[in-house]
Amino acid sequence: MGPSHPSTHGTVKITLKLDGERIVDSQVEVGYLHRGFEKECESGEYYKAIPYTDRLNYASPMINNVGYCLAAEKLFGVAAPIRAQYLRTIACELSRMSDHFTCIGAAALELAALTPFLYCVQAREQIWDLHESLCGARVTTNYVRIGGLQSDLQPGFEEICRAKVAAALRLFGDVDELLTKNPIFRDRMEGTGALPAETLLAYGVTGPLLRAAGVPYDVRRAEPYLVYDRLDFDVPVGASGDNYDRYLVRFAELRQSARIIEQALRDLPDGPVDVEDPRFRWPAKGKVFNRMEELIDQFKLVTEGMRPPAGEVYQAVEGANGELGFYLVSNGTGKPWKCRCRAPSFSNTQALRDMIQGALLADVIPTFDMVNMIGGECDR
Amino acid sequence: MDTMGPWLIVRGLLVTARHFFRNLLGFLRRRPTIATILYPEEAQQWSPAMRGMPVLVQMENGKERCVACGLCEWACPVDCITIYPAETSDEVERYPEIFTIDMSRCMFCGFCEEACPEEAIVMSQRVAIATTEWRGSLWEKRDLLVPVRELGTRLDHIRRDYERPAVPAAAPVTERVEKQ
Amino acid sequence: MSDGTQQPIEAPRSDPAVLALLRERFPEAVLATHAYRGDATAEVAPASLLEVCTFLRDDPALAFDFLVDVTAVDYIGSVPRFEVVYHLYSLPRNHRVRLKARVPEESPRIASVTSIWRGANWLERETFDMYGIHFEGHPDLRRIYLYEEFQGHPLRKDYPKEKRQPLVTARDVAAPQAARSEARDRERYGRWQ
Repeated sequence: MGPSHPSTHGTVKITLKLDGERIVDSQVEVGYLHRGFEKECESGEYYKAIPYTDRLNYASPMINNVGYCLAAEKLFGVAAPIRAQYLRTIACELSRMSDHFTCIGAAALELAALTPFLYCVQAREQIWDLHESLCGARVTTNYVRIGGLQSDLQPGFEEICRAKVAAALRLFGDVDELLTKNPIFRDRMEGTGALPAETLLAYGVTGPLLRAAGVPYDVRRAEPYLVYDRLDFDVPVGASGDNYDRYLVRFAELRQSARIIEQALRDLPDGPVDVEDPRFRWPAKGKVFNRMEELIDQFKLVTEGMRPPAGEVYQAVEGANGELGFYLVSNGTGKPWKCRCRAPSFSNTQALRDMIQGALLADVIPTFDMVNMIGGECDR
Repeated sequence: MDTMGPWLIVRGLLVTARHFFRNLLGFLRRRPTIATILYPEEAQQWSPAMRGMPVLVQMENGKERCVACGLCEWACPVDCITIYPAETSDEVERYPEIFTIDMSRCMFCGFCEEACPEEAIVMSQRVAIATTEWRGSLWEKRDLLVPVRELGTRLDHIRRDYERPAVPAAAPVTERVEKQ
Repeated sequence: MSDGTQQPIEAPRSDPAVLALLRERFPEAVLATHAYRGDATAEVAPASLLEVCTFLRDDPALAFDFLVDVTAVDYIGSVPRFEVVYHLYSLPRNHRVRLKARVPEESPRIASVTSIWRGANWLERETFDMYGIHFEGHPDLRRIYLYEEFQGHPLRKDYPKEKRQPLVTARDVAAPQAARSEARDRERYGRWQ
């Protein structure tokens, strides 16, 4: 199967050894989308890696932005203002919604249900409209900055956001009606691809896959970052860990994300979104135009980059598919000495071989869909 | 569960029929409820924040505002901007003799606009820039210049962030290195 | 909440008690420890890596059941040159630790931890692919992202970013397959021909 197979999203090659329709053994090969993310990051200043992180998991770009910038902020020893933290939380949850829409829609499509896919894509469009309103791009967001955000909210964003999230959830209600009780969909999903939680953990599988197997591990809960400790949300867990549970967990997470967005919009404080510190954040443009000091800062920051102290940090955030971590090593210069991305898809895809062992050939497709391997993130 | 099948089919058809009739009604009322548009005839409504391709601001006197300081060239992560500066007798003293953007490399990140200290390069709303050959995606200065009056939306948008609310400066963070 | 002031960096989340336990148990294998920005880090001697990892996983007070990441850092110019970095997390105890082991340039070899955490399989393959570090005891140490004919290891600091690779002649994967299916057809339908 693959590298380009009509019923898989993402470019991956699965070599299957079959006995009739039973899978005797399989080999998963990734790497078709390898672009040298880490090498690129190491050859540019810290801020230049931010647009590259959009392209890791392109279904949820904001979470990657946030993850990288939080790691860099931890390394620099600076924290973004509270309003920026709230806005990042909103952006993260919007991205999580768009990722789950993509995953569920693509899964439905590959199980030959075209209509839910169209509704999911339409719902995702609503989320991407919000991305566009936040930062000017739908997918390649480049929104979060080290010590702040690219820009503050546009006027009237709160109302638009509430309306669009509600519209997306309405569309998703239709998907729910079409899929959740559909016997064909359930036949394909139930009882397939299940692995015990211990095996999943041994493989380093995180995110909805692990939670569907009953382990309530969520980085947002375990090590709260941003303002997740001030917000009220549930971590949905499944019981059996099969594909249907994974689908239901993603489904429940969508509703939780909408809840988080609602709360964050309600509590959103006023104030600045950027750190006013010429060592980390580019100065406000109004000052750059009119004052010499800020102009010099601007030139220094752009050409030399921000200079962190020498050291190393690891920062984990809850990506849409699991724990997304960034490991940065600095030697005191303006460029990262090492920028490592711990991609959840990579570890999740690794467990695919065990998930489909002994299953039918047709079970590969729902399992692969629910693993939700995103090539950009898995292959980097 | 098999006996439930026919009912579920009816339920599913009800959902899709609801969408169908709502969209049909929207079409008849000329208030479309569908997500797609008839692209070349209808223009997409972008948000003012929309980042299209970067263009150079052309002042009222027909000259570019750029002073060829090279900051956008530095800030560009993919090195798609090339500037050859030259001197001029105008009050700005410098101008870009050659200013080229390789749009086959540009990734619309907007760092050039953020880095620019002169409001000279901005992200326009232009996106239909596909070409059939590589050379066509090499944009020279004369292609990039856009009169300032056509960039009103974008300039208004980025000017909102020129003055940030005042905040106390960040407290210096002490190092917490405990080497043992 | 709306004062807009800077939030202080969170208190160190990683438990330095992990490091104290490690130092106590392995006084000579643990070469150095630090907790920069709250990340508990221990540098261990590569020879005793497996022993330390087994202890970290099995000790009930530590219980590191989740291998988050394996990677390497190339400190070109220093001796030993490479540093293999392991990030561990414990779900029951909710703490993290980072293990590091230095391996020299001339023989970049270290024991594989696949026997302790199965998830190390691909992570070690990736590290081998990118840095050329050999993990001894790994069941299937091959390149994972790049193709077999790729020369060099791209994340090493002495590998230039712009370096180009020689073209590889196309592997003929179709020919043996075609021959096989032809043989099968002959076997199945031969008697009707």
